Amino acid sequence: MGVKDVKPTRSELIEIKKKIKLSQSGHKLLKMKRDGLILEFFEILSKAKDVRSELDAAYEEASRKIGIANAVDGTITVKSTAFALKSKPEIELESRNIMGVVVPKIESSSVKKSINERGYGILGTSSYTDEAADAYENLVEKIILAAEIETTMKKLLDDIEKTKRRVNALEFKVIPELQEAMVFIRLRLEEMERENTFRLKRIKG
Amino acid sequence: MELAVVGNSEFVTGFRLAGVKKIFEVNNGELEPTVEKILEDREVGILIMHGDDLNELPEMLRYTISDSVEPTVVTLGGSGESSNLREKIKQSVGVDLWK
Repeated sequence: MGVKDVKPTRSELIEIKKKIKLSQSGHKLLKMKRDGLILEFFEILSKAKDVRSELDAAYEEASRKIGIANAVDGTITVKSTAFALKSKPEIELESRNIMGVVVPKIESSSVKKSINERGYGILGTSSYTDEAADAYENLVEKIILAAEIETTMKKLLDDIEKTKRRVNALEFKVIPELQEAMVFIRLRLEEMERENTFRLKRIKG
Repeated sequence: MELAVVGNSEFVTGFRLAGVKKIFEVNNGELEPTVEKILEDREVGILIMHGDDLNELPEMLRYTISDSVEPTVVTLGGSGESSNLREKIKQSVGVDLWK
C-alpha cells in the first residue's frame, strides 16, 4: 500500500491506527512463537546429532557383520536365509503438536526378534548370520528413531522460516508503511485545516 | 505402515535379514523411477536408502525427498542426510548449528 493510494480522511486515519495496533500485536505474538520454536528446535537438535552418530555407528557395525556373514556362510546362504524371514517390522504414524506445528510420532512393533521368532532354521545357519540379523534389527530401530527426530526437525525448521518471514514482513514492511500513511494523513489533514482557516479569513476580509 | 528399502543388492540384503519386506533392488538407471514409485505408495512410512544413491538423483527429486514427511526418507552412509539438514538449518536459523 503506497502513501499515494491513501485517502486523507479522518475515518481512514482511525482505520489505519486500528491496523497498526493489530499488526503490532500480531508482530509481538509471532516473535514469541518464533522464539518458542527456536527453543524447541535447540532441544531437538542435540537429540538429532546424537541419533545421527548412533545411526552411523549402527550402520557401520551392521555392514561389518553382514560382510563377515557373507564371507563365512557365503552370499547365497545369507540371501536365502533373509528370504525365509516371516514377520516384518510394523510402524504406526501418530501426530503431536508443538506450538501449532504438527510433527509425527512413530511407534514401532516387532523390530527385535528372538532367534526362534525369525523364521529360519537354526541348524542351517551360523551364528554370524544371527549376529548380522541382530545388528540390522538394531539398525532398523535406530532408523525409526532417527526418522521421527529428523522429520520433527525439518518441520520445525520450515515453520521457523515461515514465522521469521512473517515477523520480518510485519516489522520492516507492513508496520512502517502503515505508519508512513498515518503521518501522511495527519499532515494532509493539518494542511487542509490551515487552508480552511485561510479561506475563511480571506472571505471575512 | 511399512518400511521400504531401495538400493543395490549388497545394501538391501541386511534389511531383508531384519524382516523388511518392501525391498527394491535396483541397478543403474532404475533408481529414479523406483524412488518416485515409492514416494507415491501410501503404505510406506519410512524409506531407507544409501547416501550415495541420494546424490545420484536429480536435484528436483532430491528436494522432494528432503521435504517429504510421509514417507520420511532416511539415508545411511555417505554424507547425504546430515548435509541436507545442515543446509536447512543454515537457511532457516541463519547460523550453522550442525557442528
